[in-house]
Amino acid sequence: MPAIEVQRQMLPMLGSPNQGARFYNPELPATEPFVPGHRTCAGCGPSIQYRMTSKAAGDNTILVGPTGCMYVANSSYLCTPYNVPWAHTQIGSSGSFTAGVAAAYEAMIRKGKWKGTFPNIICEAGDGSASDIGLASVSGALYRNHDCLIICYDNEQYANTGIQASSRTPYGGMTTFSPPGPKVPEAKTLFPKDLARMMAAGHPHCYVATASVGYPIDLMNKVRKALNHKGAAFMMIYTPCQKGFVYETPRSIDLGRLVVESGLYPIWEWDPEKREFDYSFRPASMRPVSEYLKLQGRFGHLHAEHIATLQKFANQQWKMMNVAIPEALIKAADAKNLVDMASAEAAAAVAQTV
Amino acid sequence: MSTKGTHIPDWLQVPFAGITPAPSQKGQDLFPTGNWRAIRPVYRDKMPPCNNACGTNEKIQGYLDLVKRGKYLDAYALIKEDMPFPSVTGRVCYHPCEQACNRGKYDEAISIRAVERFLGDLGQALPKDVVKPGKPNGKKVVVVGSGPAGHSAAYQLARLGYAVTILEKSPKAGGLNRGGIPDWVLPQNVLDREIERLVELGITIKTNTEVGKDVSWDELRKNYDAVVLAVGLINPNSIRAEGEDTAGVHYGLPFLRDIGMGTSKVKLGPRVAVIGGGNTAIDCAREAYRQGAQEVTMITVEGNASEMPCVPEDLHDMVEEGVELKHGLACTAILGTGKVEALQLHPAKFSGAINASPITVNKDAKPERFAVDNVIIAVGQHGALKWLPDEFKNDKGGIKADRFGRLGSTNVFAAGDVVQVGQGQPLMVVNAVGDGKRTAFNVDTVLRGEPLQERMVAIDVITDLARMNMTYFPKFPRVQQAMLAPASRRKTQDEVIQAFSEEQAIEEANRCFSCGTCNACDNCYLVCPEPCIIRYDRSNGLYKILVDYCKGCRVCIEECPTGCLEGVPELDFDTGVVRMDTAFAITQGLHGRQAEELRNLPDRPAKDIG
Amino acid sequence: MATATAGKKKTVRINGCVASAQAAKYADVDVIAAYPIRPYTATMMALAQMVANGELDAEYIVADSEHSQLSIAHGAASCGARVFTGSSGVGVQFAFELYSPISGARMPVQMMIADRTLDPPGDFGSEHTEALSTRDMGWLMGWSCDAQEAFDNHLMAYRIGEDPRVLLPQMVCQDGFFVSHITTDCELPDPGQVKEFLPPYKHPYPLDPRHPVSHGPQIMPEQGPPLQLERARAMEGAMPVIEEIHDQFARIFGRRYDPWLEEYMTDDAEVVFFLQGAHGVTARHAIRHMRARGAKVGMVRLRTYRPYPTEQVAASLSKFKVVGVIETNMGLGSVSSGGSLYAEAVAALYEVPKRPLVFSFMAGMGGEAIVMKEFYWMTNKMIEAQKRGKIEKRAHWVGFEE
Repeated sequence: MPAIEVQRQMLPMLGSPNQGARFYNPELPATEPFVPGHRTCAGCGPSIQYRMTSKAAGDNTILVGPTGCMYVANSSYLCTPYNVPWAHTQIGSSGSFTAGVAAAYEAMIRKGKWKGTFPNIICEAGDGSASDIGLASVSGALYRNHDCLIICYDNEQYANTGIQASSRTPYGGMTTFSPPGPKVPEAKTLFPKDLARMMAAGHPHCYVATASVGYPIDLMNKVRKALNHKGAAFMMIYTPCQKGFVYETPRSIDLGRLVVESGLYPIWEWDPEKREFDYSFRPASMRPVSEYLKLQGRFGHLHAEHIATLQKFANQQWKMMNVAIPEALIKAADAKNLVDMASAEAAAAVAQTV
Repeated sequence: MSTKGTHIPDWLQVPFAGITPAPSQKGQDLFPTGNWRAIRPVYRDKMPPCNNACGTNEKIQGYLDLVKRGKYLDAYALIKEDMPFPSVTGRVCYHPCEQACNRGKYDEAISIRAVERFLGDLGQALPKDVVKPGKPNGKKVVVVGSGPAGHSAAYQLARLGYAVTILEKSPKAGGLNRGGIPDWVLPQNVLDREIERLVELGITIKTNTEVGKDVSWDELRKNYDAVVLAVGLINPNSIRAEGEDTAGVHYGLPFLRDIGMGTSKVKLGPRVAVIGGGNTAIDCAREAYRQGAQEVTMITVEGNASEMPCVPEDLHDMVEEGVELKHGLACTAILGTGKVEALQLHPAKFSGAINASPITVNKDAKPERFAVDNVIIAVGQHGALKWLPDEFKNDKGGIKADRFGRLGSTNVFAAGDVVQVGQGQPLMVVNAVGDGKRTAFNVDTVLRGEPLQERMVAIDVITDLARMNMTYFPKFPRVQQAMLAPASRRKTQDEVIQAFSEEQAIEEANRCFSCGTCNACDNCYLVCPEPCIIRYDRSNGLYKILVDYCKGCRVCIEECPTGCLEGVPELDFDTGVVRMDTAFAITQGLHGRQAEELRNLPDRPAKDIG
Repeated sequence: MATATAGKKKTVRINGCVASAQAAKYADVDVIAAYPIRPYTATMMALAQMVANGELDAEYIVADSEHSQLSIAHGAASCGARVFTGSSGVGVQFAFELYSPISGARMPVQMMIADRTLDPPGDFGSEHTEALSTRDMGWLMGWSCDAQEAFDNHLMAYRIGEDPRVLLPQMVCQDGFFVSHITTDCELPDPGQVKEFLPPYKHPYPLDPRHPVSHGPQIMPEQGPPLQLERARAMEGAMPVIEEIHDQFARIFGRRYDPWLEEYMTDDAEVVFFLQGAHGVTARHAIRHMRARGAKVGMVRLRTYRPYPTEQVAASLSKFKVVGVIETNMGLGSVSSGGSLYAEAVAALYEVPKRPLVFSFMAGMGGEAIVMKEFYWMTNKMIEAQKRGKIEKRAHWVGFEE
C-alpha cells in the first residue's frame, strides 16, 4: 500500500495585545483544552502556563504529562481537567514517551490506520523532569527530531514533592534540600543549569525558545511557532510557584515580568533556519534583581553579597543578549551598595524549612 | 483462580485501567475547588473620572471604547443619550473631563473633545439621526429658550414622548450656542443641523417669540402641562466705571451675539481693549482681530495668566494670535469725548481667594492711561427676568429654583445658566446641557405623578492609578488636532481647530485607560490559572467567574488593567458559596459514573477538531 | 539475510534474533524502539535493515536508553500503534520503572528479550535472572527454545496481549546465544496466514483527539486495589485466551504447542527435569542418552511463565517421584538459596496430596552450556533422592559438588 502523506497543522499567530497605546488582547481561541476543577495551588504559575499553552494549541492536540505538579495536582483521584487526550508518563520519560506518541501518529497516518491531520504533541515536563532525570530522554527526542513540542514548565524546583532543589533552582534559592544555615548562608550555592541554551546548542535543527507567563501572547505565539515547526521544538517557560517561592498569590504574572525585567530569565528564540539566537525581545524596563528577589520568601535570607552575586549573574545574562547595561545595574552588582534582604523594606517574610 | 468470586463494590467502581473520560468544557465536576477561596473576585465597574467630571455625565469611557473598536455609530448613539449636540460640544466644550482624565497624571490627558467632535460630525452626516422620539404621551411641555439648556431639555423631553414647543426670542434658534460662540469655533451650519435634528424629533420651534412680550407668564402656565425656563443670562454685567455709556464701548456677549445673528453694526477701530479674563473675554479678543482690529489688549484683574478663569489652550491660542495681556488692573473710567479714546486703569486685585469675589482697587496709585479706540467689556452677565414673579428671582440675577430645578410647587422648572449662576459651579455649555437633561427627567417625574428623588451620587470614582495596573499602558503622546496658522486665521471666520481623521480618532481613543471599567481586554480571562473565568461574549458584563472553582488567587484582580475587578471577602456572600462537604463528592462513588461514561465513549459524537 | 517470499511459505535458516525480527515484520509493527545491547541487538539490526530496504513500514527509533525504549513503546501503544521493542541483561533492568506502568495502563507492548547474565562482571552468557526479576509486573511472559518457537511465540503473544479480554504487555524471551545466535530452520508463513491470525491492534481508549481521555490520572489509595484487582483478573483471564489462541495458531499454521508445558519422555518417567528455555533442547538429547541406559528420566519444559500455569504444573509434576529444577537464574538468599523457579514449582505442588521431591540445580549459569556429564550427574542426584525418599538439600551447584 502506498504511504499516505502526513498533513500537518499551521496555526496562525496572535496579534500583539498592544495596539498603539491600547492594551487589548487579540481574539483568543474559544477552545478550553484545560478546564477548572484541579488541585493546583491558588495562583499556580505552571497552571497558568498550561492553560495558555493548551489554548494556543487547540483541540487537535495530545498532551503528555511526566510526573510533576501538572500530573499530581491536575489529574488527581481519577479526575482530569484535560479536554484533549492526555497521558501520564514517568518523570524520566518526558522525551521518550512523547517520541513514542509522535512516532505512532507518523506511522499510523502514513499507513492509513488513523485518518486526520497530524496532532499537536506537547509534553509538559517540569524542570526536574526536563533538566535532571529526563534530560537524556528530552535530548533524545530533540535530536531525533520528532514532530513534537517539549515544554519545560520551569518552577525552578521539585515542587510537587515538597520544594526540593533542582538543577534549575537559582543561586540563593531556599528549598528543603538547600536550606540556609550558618555554614551555608546563601542556601543554594550552585547556579542553575542553562537548560534552554543547552538544548539550542545541542540540537540546532530544533526550534528552541524561552518564555514567561508574564508575557502571555508572546508565550502563546512561541507555542504556535514551535508547533508549526516541522520537527522537534523545546520551550522553557518561567512559571512561578507560589508555595516554593513564597509570595502573595496575586503576583504570579507580575513575577513573570519582573524575572525578565531583572535579567534573571532571558527571553529569546533560537532560529533553526538561520542557526542564530534572536534576542529582539525587550521587556518594558530593566530593574535590579533585588526588586524581583524581595517579593519572594525563598530569598529572604540573602545578604548583600549574595544579592550582588545574583546581580552579576543577571548582568552577564544581559551581556549575553547584547544589551547595554545601565550604570545603576553595574552599581547594584557591588555589595557595598546593597542591603541584606532581611532589612529590605518590602522583603517577603523568610520562608521556614519544614 | 484467585480472582474468582471477587467483586468491586459500587462505590469503588473505577474506569478501565483508570482511563478517565475528558471533563465537560465547563469543568471537572468532581472537584469543586471554590471552597478554598477566602476572597472572591467581582466585576464592579467604577465611575471613570471623566464621566464624573462631565457636566452631563456623558459615558465618555464608553464611547471611547466603542471608537477603539470602530463602532462609531454605537459610540454616537451612546453620546446622544446625554448630549444632544456632540458636534457643538466637540468644538466648544471646556472639557472638564480632560482636566479629570487619569491619563493626565501619567502622560497627557485624552483629547476627549476631539473624539466627541469626530462623533458629532459623523452624526451630522447621517441622513437620519439615530435618536427617535418617544411614544407620544399626550402631554405638552414648553421650553423657553433654545440655548444649550433649553435644547437639551427639549431633546430629552421629546425622547420621553412629550409634545415639546420651544420659544426663542431671537430670529434664529440656538441661544448661546449661536450668539455666544464665534463662527471660527462653531460654524453656524453645524448648529443649524443640530436644530434641524430637534425639528426632526417633532419639536416645534417658535422664533421671535419672547416671554413677557409675545406670550405671558400666565399663558405659559395655562397652555402647557409643564414649563422649562432656559432663558440664560443675556444682560451683560457692568464694570461700574465712569463713561461706560461712551460710544465705542461694547459688551462681550451682545458683541458676539450680534455677529452671530448677522445683525452686528459694530465697526472696530485699530486699537481694542478687552476687559475680563474669562472665556468670553478671550473669544471677544480673538473676534476683535477678525472684526478688523490691529492691536488687541486684554486687561484682567488677575495678577497673571495662570489665575485667569479660562481654558488654558484657548488662552494659548489667543496669545498666539497676538493678543497682549495686561494683568492686575481694573478699568476705573472710560475716557473720551463722544467716543472712546482711552481707559483709566488702576492696580487691582480680588479681595477673596476666588475671582468671583469683590475687587479691591488701589485708588491711591497713579492711574495708567491706556489709549484705545474701542473697549469690549466681558465680565459676566445676568438674567433678563422682568416678566417673572419676584418670588422666583434670586439675588444673583437668576431664577430661584429648588434642587430639582422646580419653581416652588409649580410645574414650572428652570435650567441652565439662569439657575446655575452664582451657585459655585462654572457656567459652561456642558453644565447647561446636563442641567437641561436632569430637569427634563424631573419634569417627567412630576408629570408622571411620582415624587422627585435625589440624584444618585457616584459612589466610587476611580481616580487612583494605584487601583489600576499601569504595566499594561505604555506611555503614548496625545494626538494633536491640526490648527490654522495664527497669522492667517485671525483674519477669517474659518474654523481654527481642525477635526480628527478616523485614524487619529482611533489612535486617541486607544489611549483611554477605561478607568475602573471593564473594556473586555480579556486579560482576566487569559491569566486565570484554573481557568474559571468564562465569557459568553467579549463584552463588558458578559464575563463570569465560575465560583464553584475559583480558588481566590486574585491574579485576575492584580492583572486587571482598568481596576474593574475587585476582591470581596467570601463571608460577604450568601450565594455561590461552595460548601466543604462538596469536597467529598469524590468519595461518594461518582467514579462508577465515569466508568459508565468511558464505556459509552465511542458513541459520543466525535469532537470537532477542525 | 533470508526473507519470506510474499504469498508463500518459506523455510529459511535463521537465528533466534532474526526470527524475532521476522515476526515483528510479519506483525506489521508500527513503531520499533531500539537500543543496542548484546545479544538481542541482532534483532534490531535486522529490523533496521528491513526498514531501510522498505520491506517494513515502521518508525524505527534509536532510543537513548532502555528506559526510553520502553517509554517510547508505552507512548506509541497508548496511541494505538503496534509496538516492538527488546533488550537483554542490564538493559532489561534499566527500563524496570516502566514495566508496571505499561501493564497498569493495559498497553499490549511487546518486548523481545534475549537473556543475558546480569553484571558483574559483564558476562555475555544467558541467564534468565533479568527477565524473571520483572515477573510480577503484569507482563505475559514465556521462553522459546529455538528460532521457530521464538517466531511463533512472538505472533501468538501479540494475538494474546492485544485480545480485548486481555490487553497486557508481553515479554517473549529466548536464551541469549543458545537461541539468539544459533541458526536453525525456521518456517516463515504466508502473510495471508498472519493476516488471518492477527487482526490489527485496536486499543479501546487510545490517545486520540477525536475521543479525548486521560491515561493514568493519579488515584486515591482506595482506588488502587480495584485497579490492581482488574489487572489480576486480566492476567488470570488470559489463561483461557492463551489456550484458545494456541488452538487457532495450530489450525492456521499447522504447528501445535502446548500453551503451558512441553513434556518430553514423561510417560513412564520417575524423575524429571523442570526447566524453561534453550536448555530444553540439550536436555532432550541427554534424556535420550540416559533413557538408553535405563534411567526413567524425562523433562517438563515450562513454556509460559506468566500467567503461571499452577494447575498444569501441579498436575504434571505430581505424576513423578523427583523433580530437579534447572534454574538458569539467580535467587540469592531465596527460599532454596538457589533460583526462583523452585519456589513457584513447590508452591504449585503444595496442595497436591502426593507430592514429588523437589530441588534445584544451579546449572547453565553465566551462559555456560550444560554438558552431558552434568545431565548425568543431575539425573544421579535425582535417582539418589528417589531411593533415599528424601532430598539432600534444596539446591545443588552443578560443577561445584561431588
